[in-house]
Amino acid sequence: MDTTLTRPAEAPQMRGFSREAVEALSRAKGEPDWALEARLAAWEIYDNTPLPTQRDEAWRRTSLRALKLDDVRPFGATRGLARSLDEIPAAVRAGLEEGGEGGRDLRASFEASGTTPRAGLLLQHNSSVLYHTLNEDVAAQGVIFTGLDEAVRDHPELVQRYFMTGAVPPTHDKFAALHGAFWSGGTFIYVPRNCAVELPLQSRVYADADAPAVFAHTLIVAEEGAEVVFIDEFVSPTGEGQGFSDGAVEIYTGQGAQVRYFSVQDWGRHVYHFNTQRVVAERDSTTRSLSILLGSKLTKSNVESALDGPGATSEMLGIYFGDGTQHFDQHTLQDHLKPNTTSDLLFKGVLRDRARQVFAGLIRVEPGAQKTDAYQANRNLLLSDKARVDSMPKLEIGANDVRCTHGATMGQVDRDQLFYLSSRGLERSEAERLIVEGFLDEIIQRIPLEEVRDRLHAAIQQKMGLPAREGDEG
Amino acid sequence: MPIEASPGGGTLRGESTLSTLEIKNLHAKIEDKEILRGVNLTINQGEVHAMMGVNGSGKSTLAYILMGHPAYEVTEGDILLDGESVLEMEPDERAHKGLFLAFQYPTAIPGVNVANFLRLSANAVQKARFQEANPDAEYKAPPVAEFRKRLVEKMGVLKMDRSFMARYLNEGFSGGEKKRMEILQMAMLEPKFAIMDETDSGLDIDALRIVAEGVNAQLGPGLGVLVITHYQRLLEYIKPQFVHVMINGRIVADGGPELAKELDVKGYDWVRAEFAPEEAPVAAETPALARASLGVKQSLTGRQ
Ligand SMILES: Nc1ncnc2c1ncn2[C@@H]1O[C@H](COP(=O)(O)OP(=O)(O)O)[C@@H](O)[C@H]1O
Ligand SMILES: [Mg+2]
Repeated sequence: MDTTLTRPAEAPQMRGFSREAVEALSRAKGEPDWALEARLAAWEIYDNTPLPTQRDEAWRRTSLRALKLDDVRPFGATRGLARSLDEIPAAVRAGLEEGGEGGRDLRASFEASGTTPRAGLLLQHNSSVLYHTLNEDVAAQGVIFTGLDEAVRDHPELVQRYFMTGAVPPTHDKFAALHGAFWSGGTFIYVPRNCAVELPLQSRVYADADAPAVFAHTLIVAEEGAEVVFIDEFVSPTGEGQGFSDGAVEIYTGQGAQVRYFSVQDWGRHVYHFNTQRVVAERDSTTRSLSILLGSKLTKSNVESALDGPGATSEMLGIYFGDGTQHFDQHTLQDHLKPNTTSDLLFKGVLRDRARQVFAGLIRVEPGAQKTDAYQANRNLLLSDKARVDSMPKLEIGANDVRCTHGATMGQVDRDQLFYLSSRGLERSEAERLIVEGFLDEIIQRIPLEEVRDRLHAAIQQKMGLPAREGDEG
Repeated sequence: MPIEASPGGGTLRGESTLSTLEIKNLHAKIEDKEILRGVNLTINQGEVHAMMGVNGSGKSTLAYILMGHPAYEVTEGDILLDGESVLEMEPDERAHKGLFLAFQYPTAIPGVNVANFLRLSANAVQKARFQEANPDAEYKAPPVAEFRKRLVEKMGVLKMDRSFMARYLNEGFSGGEKKRMEILQMAMLEPKFAIMDETDSGLDIDALRIVAEGVNAQLGPGLGVLVITHYQRLLEYIKPQFVHVMINGRIVADGGPELAKELDVKGYDWVRAEFAPEEAPVAAETPALARASLGVKQSLTGRQ
C-alpha cells in the first residue's frame, strides 16, 4: 500500500460539471460501483433541476448571475495519506496552521495536545484528506473517525445506510444534488451505542487560494446514548479568481444521544459557498449546533433540524459577521415531526461596510406534533448605513397545542452606549468592539470550548480592523 | 526603558499647580432648541460646587456638554481646562485629561462584563496620562492582580458585593446599584474634575449615605466636583463650598451652602422672583438682576 505522500497525479484540466467528470472523479478514487451509481443518480437530479433564479422564493434576495459554473474545476488531484504531520509538505502545513484571513495563529489547536487536547484530528487540503488521527482508547471503543473516501472502502454498510439517504438527500436542492455527484474528502464520525467521547474531535479543511471546487462532507452518526463533540473548520486565503465550495453536513443523533457540532467557515473572499446542514434527532436526544460564518464572497446555506422522535431537543445557534461586500443568505428550518419536541434557534450577526445578510427562518410543526416548543430569534447589529439585513421569520403550524415564538431585530450601534464608553476613556473603535462583543456574548458564553471562543474574539477584532490583542480578563 | 505604571502611575492629582475648569458664556442647542444661554462657572481643583435647578433647566445638558456628548451643539462660548479648550476633544480624550461624568441615567451595555470593562477603561485612561507625562517611555499596564486588589478595595468602600464584577455593565442594575457603579468608576479613574448628575435620585437614605461616603472618600485637593441636584438632601452629605442655581439655561444665583438651605425653605419660585424675574412664569416688576451673589462670590472668582 502506498502510504507516503506522493506528488499529486497530474491535476485534471476539466472545467465545468458533466457526467464525464463524475465518472472521471469516481475512477480516480477507485470507488466501488455502488458509490459511482449513487454519484450518477445525484448527477441526474442535478442535471434535471434548473439553476435557481431570483424568481424562486428561496433565492429571491441572492443572485447567482455572476457565478460561472462552467469555469469551475470540478475536482483536483487525489493524494495519499500522510503517516505523520511531518510528512505534510511545509507549504500545506503552514496553510493548515494559519489558514484564513489575517494569519491568525492556530497552532495551538493544530497540535492535538497541550492546552486544547483533542480525541482526534483530521486535516484536509483542497479535496483530499491528508491526515487523521484518533486517540487509541477512543478507537478501542469502536469509535470511527476517518476520511469519508476511506469510509466508503472500509465501512461500506454504514456509508450506504447514512450517506445522503436521510438528512441531506440529493433531492434537497440543486446544490445538494451537485454535492452528491462530486463530493470528495470530508469526515466520517461513528460513535457506537452508549459510548461517550469526552474530548472533542476536530477537522480542518484548508483550501488554496486557487483550489479546485471543494465538496466537503461531514457525516456524524451517534448511536443510542452516544456522546460526541465535533469542531469543523473551513479556511482558505483570498484568491484572485472564483472559488467554489459546496458542502453538506449530516448529523444523526440517535435515541438519547448528545451531539455538539461547531462549524467555522472562514473561506477567502472569492469563494461562492453553498451548504446544507441537517440534524435528524431521535427520541430524547439533544443536539446543539453553532454555525460561525465569517468568510466567503457569497454564502447560501441551509441549517435544519428534523425533530424526529418525542423528547428530542435541538439548539441551533448562529453567529455571522459580514464585511466588505460579503453576502450571506441563511435559511433555517426547525422541522417538528413528532410531539413533545423542542427547538431553540438564535442567530446573531454583525454587518459592516456594504455587507448583506438574508435570514429566512421557518418553524414547521407537522400535524400531530403536539406540545412542540419552538423558539426562533434573529438579531442583527449594523455598523454602517450601507450594510443591509432582511430577516423573514415564518411559521407553518399544523398542530394546535404548541408554543412557538419568533422575532427579528436589527439596529445600529446605540449612540448613548458609545458615548458612555468613550466618556470612560475608551477610543471609539474600542468602544464599538466592546458593544459588538457584548451583543454576541449571549451566544459566545454558551460555547464551552475556550479555543472556539478565542477564535471568535480574534475574528471580531480582525473584522473590526483592530490589531490583534492579548486575551481579556473574564 | 519601560517604566512600571503603578495604579497611580497615570495620576493627575500629584501635580503641583492646581487645575481649573472654566465654563465661559456657554450657549448650546439641540435640534435647533437653545438650551444653555450663557453659562459662566469656574471650578478649581479641590472645590465642591453644587448646581441646583428645577427639572428641565439645563443641568444635564451642561453635564453632557462638559463631557462631549455629540448630540449637543455649542453655539457660543468655551470650556477651558487649564486654559485649553476641550470643545474639539472627543469624550475619551476629555476623560484622559481628567474629566469625569457620573451619569444621571447610566447606560446599560448588555454582554459587557463589569470587571473587564473597568480594567480596559482604567488602562486606557492611565496609559494616556502616562504617555502625556512620559512621552518617550513605554506604558506597561499594571498586573491584573494589582488592578483587582484596587478594585476590590474601592468596591468595599461602596459596599458593593464582588459578584458585581461578573455582571453585565448596568444591565438589570437597580437605581442604587447603577449610582454606586458610577462612583466606583470615578474612584478607579481618579479624575481632576467630576460632574455628578443627580447622583442622589432614586436612592433611599441608606444608599445615599453609602454613595456620599464613597464620594467624600475621594474628596481632597486633587478633585474638583460639580454636584448637580435639585434637592438640598444630598448636600447634607456632600458639603459644597459653592452653590449655583440654574434657571432656563443660565446660572442666576451663586452663593454658599446657605443658598441651598434658603432655596430648600423658600422654593425655586423665590429664586426666580428674587434673581431672575425675567424668567418668571408670571411677569415680575422687580428690575432684572443678571446674576446675584450671596457672600462667597468673591472667593469664587478670586482665583481666576
Ligand atoms: N435630546 C434632547 N432633545 C430635545 N430636547 C432636549 C434633549 N435633551 C434635553 N432637552 C431639553 O432641554 C431642556 C433641559 O433639559 P436637561 O438638561 O435634561 O435639564 P435638567 O437636567 O436640568 O432637568 C429640557 O427642556 C429638555 O426637554
Ligand atoms: Mg437632568
